[in-house]
Amino acid sequence: MAEYTAKKLAQMLVTVLGVVTLVFFTLRLIPGDAASAMAGDTLSGEALQVLREQMGLDEPLLTQYLGFLRNLAVVDLGETITTRIPIAELLLRALPITLSIALATIVVSVALSIPLGTLAAYMAHKGRNWLDNGLTGAAMIIDLMPSFWTALVLLLVFSLGLGWFPASGQLNWSDPWALVLRLALPVIVLSLSQVATLARITRTAVLEVLNEDYVRTARSLGWSELRVLFRHALKNAALPIATVVGLSFGNLLGGTVIVEFIFTIPGVGNLLIAGINSRDYQLVQTLIVLYALLFVVINFATDLIYKTLDPRVQF
Amino acid sequence: MADITLTATPVPKAGLLAAIAAVFRHRALSSAKVRLALLILVPILALTILAPVLPIQKPLETNLRAMMQFPSIEHVFGTDKMGRDIFSRTLAGVQVSLLVGFSVAAIALVLGMLLGTLAGFYGGLIDRAIMTVVDIFLAFPSLLLAIGLVSVMGTGIVPVILAISLADVPRFIRLQRSQVLSLRSRAFIDAARTVDASQYWLMTRHIVPNTIAAMLVAASIAAANAILVEASLSFLGLGIMPPQPSLGNIVRDGQTYLEQAWWISTLPGVVILLIAVGLHFLSDGVRELLDPRSR
Repeated sequence: MAEYTAKKLAQMLVTVLGVVTLVFFTLRLIPGDAASAMAGDTLSGEALQVLREQMGLDEPLLTQYLGFLRNLAVVDLGETITTRIPIAELLLRALPITLSIALATIVVSVALSIPLGTLAAYMAHKGRNWLDNGLTGAAMIIDLMPSFWTALVLLLVFSLGLGWFPASGQLNWSDPWALVLRLALPVIVLSLSQVATLARITRTAVLEVLNEDYVRTARSLGWSELRVLFRHALKNAALPIATVVGLSFGNLLGGTVIVEFIFTIPGVGNLLIAGINSRDYQLVQTLIVLYALLFVVINFATDLIYKTLDPRVQF
Repeated sequence: MADITLTATPVPKAGLLAAIAAVFRHRALSSAKVRLALLILVPILALTILAPVLPIQKPLETNLRAMMQFPSIEHVFGTDKMGRDIFSRTLAGVQVSLLVGFSVAAIALVLGMLLGTLAGFYGGLIDRAIMTVVDIFLAFPSLLLAIGLVSVMGTGIVPVILAISLADVPRFIRLQRSQVLSLRSRAFIDAARTVDASQYWLMTRHIVPNTIAAMLVAASIAAANAILVEASLSFLGLGIMPPQPSLGNIVRDGQTYLEQAWWISTLPGVVILLIAVGLHFLSDGVRELLDPRSR
């Protein structure tokens, strides 16, 4: 296990270095340079040169690159160029919000999709396919719905129409119930597509296991259906489910940008959009690296969980 | 678009044509999924092509005497705050969507087949170089990679197409490489080797034609996905910018008036969903027709 972890860790570090390098050099491909793109027509001559120096763009490319690596390594994220606020400070406020939404989505979608998928598999196994067919059809449609559209429809019905959830407003961390109501719709929107994927994977994995010999053996021992289902079938189906939860985390991060934008939640996604709109490349490059890091770390964790669940896994 | 695919890859025409012919040989229309797909896509395509001659207001034409009107016979999807016809704007948006979808699918298909074949067939250093870059690209959540790329390349149709393609190509490379790797060790390749077939002959006559079916299926899924990503980018204000209509930016425009005029945002979204469902059924149906095992 230690050897496996070390090898995966090394792979992860190589990927992270690649990610950082790619982001750095892509931003240097901006026509002109980041300073003139940022200033537009507002600055010229000397003022532009000052901005360039502030952004460190007058130094040789290699020096800039090494400086960027060094700063990331010691978590010195610098300041936003336009407003001169330390980026670390912005992240300290935004990141917990985005992570809470992502985490809540994972909890809700796992809690819903595992029973749903298991039930569908069980009924299909017994030859009653209606839940299975319904689930597969619904999952496909939900998967293909653009999430910004789903979000607007839910907002229209449940916030503006029925008034169950607030559509905007401050996030109030001291009032948990208000917070739950405020974040409910974003989490529901994100959970919908997660449940669509996860329930389908659970159904396939469980159905496969239900046909195994050891499940028949367990039944022949006279154990209850529920015990067979949860102790034997679901336990062995856990592997593919865990993998898909990890893999779909990337989609989930993309989804948080959209729901934060629609429900005006001050998370990392809104920070990113604001950064792009004000052409603050310092902020944008930090955030894109951060998203990739989150995704890479989750994939690393998934690999380790997978290995723990199934020790047979090789590199 | 298909012609570009043919000339830019080392694919012999026979490969692609054979795949398409196979679909028809198995009577494409006998597949319920293909029929359903065509039932959805053909009317949308026909309306989009016929849009300029239909008796509807032009997409950019404003009419201050018909602002925020509820859907009616005259304005099927209603009108927006400037009295523009949402149906006509939606059709113009579908044009953009289809252009983006097919361009992305074509670019990803061509680059993916080219680089994936090279990596899988030659192995060694070429393989390692290509796959290292692929792994780095795959470390980004795909929507965020597209957002990052448009933030550098700017807004408009061409940057959006390039950004989404770049985010998609790595997946195609990986798929093509794995196909080539499994084909390379098959007996018919050894057989061709024994009669002194050249590397180029092996690659273009024996390996690549056998990979096309799976790549076409992947391409049609990529097209549906690209349409959704373009809509998301435009919705966030990072893709296709107004006044040029795109399904995403029409929905964005309507967001402000959700309470007073719900049709502006919701109806174009239904059209996006329909196109995505249509393409999904099409790829599913074609996959079943091409893969005898799944029938």
